[in-house]
Amino acid sequence: MDHKKALEGTNTTRGVIQTSFSEKCFSVFNYAFFIVMGLTTLLPFMNLIAKSLSSEGAVISGQVGLLPVGVQFETYKYVLQDSMFLNSLKVSIFLTVVGTACSLFLTTLTAYPLSKYRLRGRKGLLLIFVFTMLFSGGLIPTYLLMQNLNLVNTFPVLFLPAMVNVYNMLIIKNYFEGLPDELEESAKLDGAGNIRILVSVIVPLSLPVMATIGLFFAVAFWNDYFAAMIYITDPAIKPMQLYLKELLVSSSGDFLKDNVDAAINATPQSIQASSILLATIPILLVYPFLQKYFVKGVLVGSVKG
Amino acid sequence: MKPTIEPSPAPHREIKPKRGYWGRLGTDIWKEWDLYLLLVPGILFILLFKYTPMYGITIAFKDFNIFTGFADSPWVGWKHFEKLFTSPDFAQVFKNTVIISFLKIVILFPLPIMIALMLNELRNMVFKRTVQTVIYLPHFLSWVIVGGLFIDLLSTNGGIVNKLLVSLGMEQIAFFLDNSVFRGVLITSAGWKETGWSTIVYLAAFTMIDPMLYEAAKIDGAGRWKQLWHITLPGIAPIIVLMFILRLGNVLEAGTEQILVMYNPVVYQVSDVIGTYVYRQGLGNQDYSFSTAVGLFEAVISFTLVIIGNSMSRKYLQRGIW
Repeated sequence: MDHKKALEGTNTTRGVIQTSFSEKCFSVFNYAFFIVMGLTTLLPFMNLIAKSLSSEGAVISGQVGLLPVGVQFETYKYVLQDSMFLNSLKVSIFLTVVGTACSLFLTTLTAYPLSKYRLRGRKGLLLIFVFTMLFSGGLIPTYLLMQNLNLVNTFPVLFLPAMVNVYNMLIIKNYFEGLPDELEESAKLDGAGNIRILVSVIVPLSLPVMATIGLFFAVAFWNDYFAAMIYITDPAIKPMQLYLKELLVSSSGDFLKDNVDAAINATPQSIQASSILLATIPILLVYPFLQKYFVKGVLVGSVKG
Repeated sequence: MKPTIEPSPAPHREIKPKRGYWGRLGTDIWKEWDLYLLLVPGILFILLFKYTPMYGITIAFKDFNIFTGFADSPWVGWKHFEKLFTSPDFAQVFKNTVIISFLKIVILFPLPIMIALMLNELRNMVFKRTVQTVIYLPHFLSWVIVGGLFIDLLSTNGGIVNKLLVSLGMEQIAFFLDNSVFRGVLITSAGWKETGWSTIVYLAAFTMIDPMLYEAAKIDGAGRWKQLWHITLPGIAPIIVLMFILRLGNVLEAGTEQILVMYNPVVYQVSDVIGTYVYRQGLGNQDYSFSTAVGLFEAVISFTLVIIGNSMSRKYLQRGIW
């Protein structure tokens, strides 16, 4: 009682102590909160890893928590030998590399002239680009266009429409605008044309923003399933995200049970778990870069955009 | 050559007799053809892949048939929009879209702000960095992966959440088959994926607050709470409003990519939103004209909301999205 009274005290004399006590309480709560939040983020992965490594019996009877029960590696062996999975992995890697390279090239090409204030009609051109961020033809007209262009069920449809990303283009443009004009002027005195200046002066100085936007594109291509779901039915060019999606949708049904060799000691759940994990690994491998450059990109985008 | 601000022509141009805009454009292109050449591929791409579909919207006012083609399909005026406004299906879809979006805004919009404020109070930098690294991660995973993770966690067939419920003496919940909880699953998983990442904007905003303000407040005897209420929150208020306006512009995008991965016919009733409806009606049932009309309805509302939001932001906050 005395202790409580002392804490309540009179506001004028006890004010400082009182806040520092409540601050301490808050601090403890705060650390606890973030530990819980961190665990909430990580535990689902632990559970998934455990499931992917557990034996059929343990998974079916629901014994698997955060640690594997009856460890087996056959699931991974099965998934890594599955031609559908491997093929979709190949498609995804190829798509990410080709798509990112082409997109970065075209986006930089477009951003450079638009970063020049002397470009005539610059405002109007920018408006034409920005308008596409605010309004779009929508799913069906876009689909019908691809059909008319005979792009449905072809590999290029997975990256061609995504190549000009206006948001990314604006970030690069803003970065170019921030480079000193003297660079361009002195290159001009040396007799370099605009293309030459872009290639050998501007781009080498813009590597950080190129890395950021390159990663933006790469993550988008790696993670995209929607374009593939709309346009692709040919299994030979299905990227991994679409393959995984079909695996998820069908795993409750009999799709997997029919496909999985009855002899192996793994459940559809384990196969699903290990496939999801395998698809996550590439993201985890580049995550340190992702975090660094994405944060930068978001900041550039939010400050200028 | 110094960059010139557009309306005032460079000195050397004034010597020549006055010419129209196109004439000057011609001169510029002649002089710097390579700069203008760089623009050509980008413009062609955007015209082909973004503006051609906008022309394609006309099929919302036609009875489009894939065999008769764009030009020959008959015009039907507002027929598809009349169908849209009288269709009970669409009424439900619209309701779902608004409810899911509303729940996401009410619950998931304030969350990153609170968490950013709390992160800002962490004094141990190593701990703070670690927390940030962990909570940003889900943002980089696709909805397929996150959907799969939640399907697995919430499964009635050995899912860890249901195991927990059972061990607490409760009944199992079929999260993905239960119309009363499925929207909760959508909101929780969206929160799990994006809350951490969404703190970045606010954390960046904190760094723009003048540190002198905190010094002055300390001298005046303000504790952490008072600093938070009187300096930090007002300091980031413009960013909060801006983010809110941006979010409102997206109110009819309730998370199509997420829902397409997670929903199933059993829960269509509570989770079928405009995006998923367009997808199924358009590509599933090949009802091209009607689904284009639905898409156009959404696009027009979103466009209007963004324009209104932006002009309000410019008026009251002196900063807009553009």
